[in-house]
Amino acid sequence: MEIGSRSARPDRATVAATAAAALMALALAMIFFYVPTDADQGYSQRIFYFHVPIAVTTYCLFAWGAVNAARYLWKRDESLDLKSYVPMHLGVIFGSLTLVTGSIWANISWNTWWFWGDTQLTTFLIIFLFNCAYFMLRFSVEAGERRSTYSAVYALLGVGLIPLSVLGVRFAQQNELIHPITFNSSGANMDGSMFLTFLVALAAMLLLAVTMYLVEMRGKRIDERVRQIRQLAEGRA
Amino acid sequence: MRAYRALLRKDLLLELRGRELVPAMLAFALGALLLVRFGLGGATQAGGTRAATGLLWVVVVFTSMLALVRSFAQEREHGIWDGILSAPIDRAAIWAARSTATLAFLIVTQAIALPLFWLFFLQDGNPPSLGVLVAALLLADLGVAMLGSLLAGLASQVHAREVLLPVLFLPFAVPLVTVAVRVSVGTISPQTGGSATLEGLGFLALYDTIFGLLGWALFEYVVED
Amino acid sequence: MCSAEAVPVVACRQLVRRFGERRALDGVDLDVAAGETLVLTGGNGAGKTTLLRVLATVLRPHGGAVSVAGHDLPRHARAARPSIGYVGHEPLVYPSLTALENLQLYGELHAVQPGRCHEALAMVGLERRGNDRPADLSRGMRQRLALARAWLHRPALLLLDEPTAGLDADGREVLRAMLDQHAGAAVVATHEPDWFAGGRELRLTLGRVAG
Repeated sequence: MEIGSRSARPDRATVAATAAAALMALALAMIFFYVPTDADQGYSQRIFYFHVPIAVTTYCLFAWGAVNAARYLWKRDESLDLKSYVPMHLGVIFGSLTLVTGSIWANISWNTWWFWGDTQLTTFLIIFLFNCAYFMLRFSVEAGERRSTYSAVYALLGVGLIPLSVLGVRFAQQNELIHPITFNSSGANMDGSMFLTFLVALAAMLLLAVTMYLVEMRGKRIDERVRQIRQLAEGRA
Repeated sequence: MRAYRALLRKDLLLELRGRELVPAMLAFALGALLLVRFGLGGATQAGGTRAATGLLWVVVVFTSMLALVRSFAQEREHGIWDGILSAPIDRAAIWAARSTATLAFLIVTQAIALPLFWLFFLQDGNPPSLGVLVAALLLADLGVAMLGSLLAGLASQVHAREVLLPVLFLPFAVPLVTVAVRVSVGTISPQTGGSATLEGLGFLALYDTIFGLLGWALFEYVVED
Repeated sequence: MCSAEAVPVVACRQLVRRFGERRALDGVDLDVAAGETLVLTGGNGAGKTTLLRVLATVLRPHGGAVSVAGHDLPRHARAARPSIGYVGHEPLVYPSLTALENLQLYGELHAVQPGRCHEALAMVGLERRGNDRPADLSRGMRQRLALARAWLHRPALLLLDEPTAGLDADGREVLRAMLDQHAGAAVVATHEPDWFAGGRELRLTLGRVAG
């Protein structure tokens, strides 16, 4: 075991954390001081630069969790189970934030905390429900190969659920769409400085997620190490 | 294919002998429809046929839970998995047979419950198009049966399975019910979504395709230990 | 039967199987040649049933290498399954199907001739009880039914978990006749090793081969 033999070189989590902090500061500065106020929605539209990057990050986390779930079923490597679980778990945090920021924004622009006609918000609620079920499943099965397999299978079913939710909710609410369309097939639907701010905010949020992922993975690995050492010690005793 | 036929015959025979599911599903569906009827305002129905048709779908989903919770109950309770799993068959055949059996139970239940629904709710007022309703029901049943059999396999190895299965299933039921309601309510005159009917049925078919493929590919991982 | 002179029917190298944290099998090495009977003994919880279930391809091995009929588990488990006949603690039959219907189901799954089911029932002395449900049979008769089920497809490898449990003198004769007819290999877990005197005995303790 090479505990304490780590080199002086900073590890990936530290690098990611530093970069995330710097980018986040830059993003905040740009959101509040650089980007022009939206003509239609006024000052409050700035919440867009939080809400959308958080939502995109949530999708990315779920995608990463699902990719690792598929890799787990293929390779049966227990570390891949963790790499699937941790993004799903972080996805819940970012997903809750999406719902909260979305709800605040809805209150400001439409004067209601929740609007069922909104496709994105409703879709997110379905995904949130799916995630709660994922954790229920995970906590009902004893740790081990079976729990990893079941979690992976359920996570992969989510890959089918997300596009179907988007399609289904959109279909059911035709002609009632009021969610601002930020992007369409011809590219970004905003001017240059807004788009730049959005990109910086998105990068900051993604890096924040990566940092949290690396830190939590490190914590889990240490837990595992401790457990192994304890087992060894018990074996000796 | 031979294994699929043998397993399906076994599942249907077990139900025919034990009569565990279909009578209970019927009683449940009937009770739920009555509750909906009174929930909507008793003798004078509030919300009219639109609300009733929407609630029909909620009853359909909850009724199917009854069938799914008992999936693989015999295999689990009598330890028969070891026999089935050591046979040289494609394990997806077990899932396919179970899905088909569940689909059959749902269709039998609805063949009796749907006329009752008509009697309770649609005597006066504008009914939805029966053809569209039946088509949507069949497509939704297929999706519920295929996805549900996979999830029932997952839940069957877990302690709190009766509680867990609905929790696992309901997120997937939301888009299904959303679209099914829109399709069937849309045909009530005055029509609100005429051209959307085909699109909605297409969505249900897509739902079946996606979860059919996922169920077929993933079931093997669910039953192995 | 395929020629299996060179390849052992069962080969385990450092086989490990865990349940949660506990290692039910902790590095088992063994070989079973064609035609050989391996008699597994050992106390309760020694890992006999786990080993048989791994060989029956219903439990995945977690470590080491294991092959059955020349096919590596778990990746090629499906190719190995036609060679396996497994008798477990439970008779592995549906209680609401009759004895014959149960055999017919397994017959279809193993793709054997339909006539084999009657033949197998007769062999274990249950030809008159084919239309009874397992619940109406005595414990020993259910065990005979389990033997018939495992024997249906004439497997190259019989895996028997305490096959004498609940069998009366006649039942033991049935089992003896079946083992005499069986040309392939067998792995038997039992607390009565003397009854299987022709076989090679192997003792398991705490998931390892003893001695």
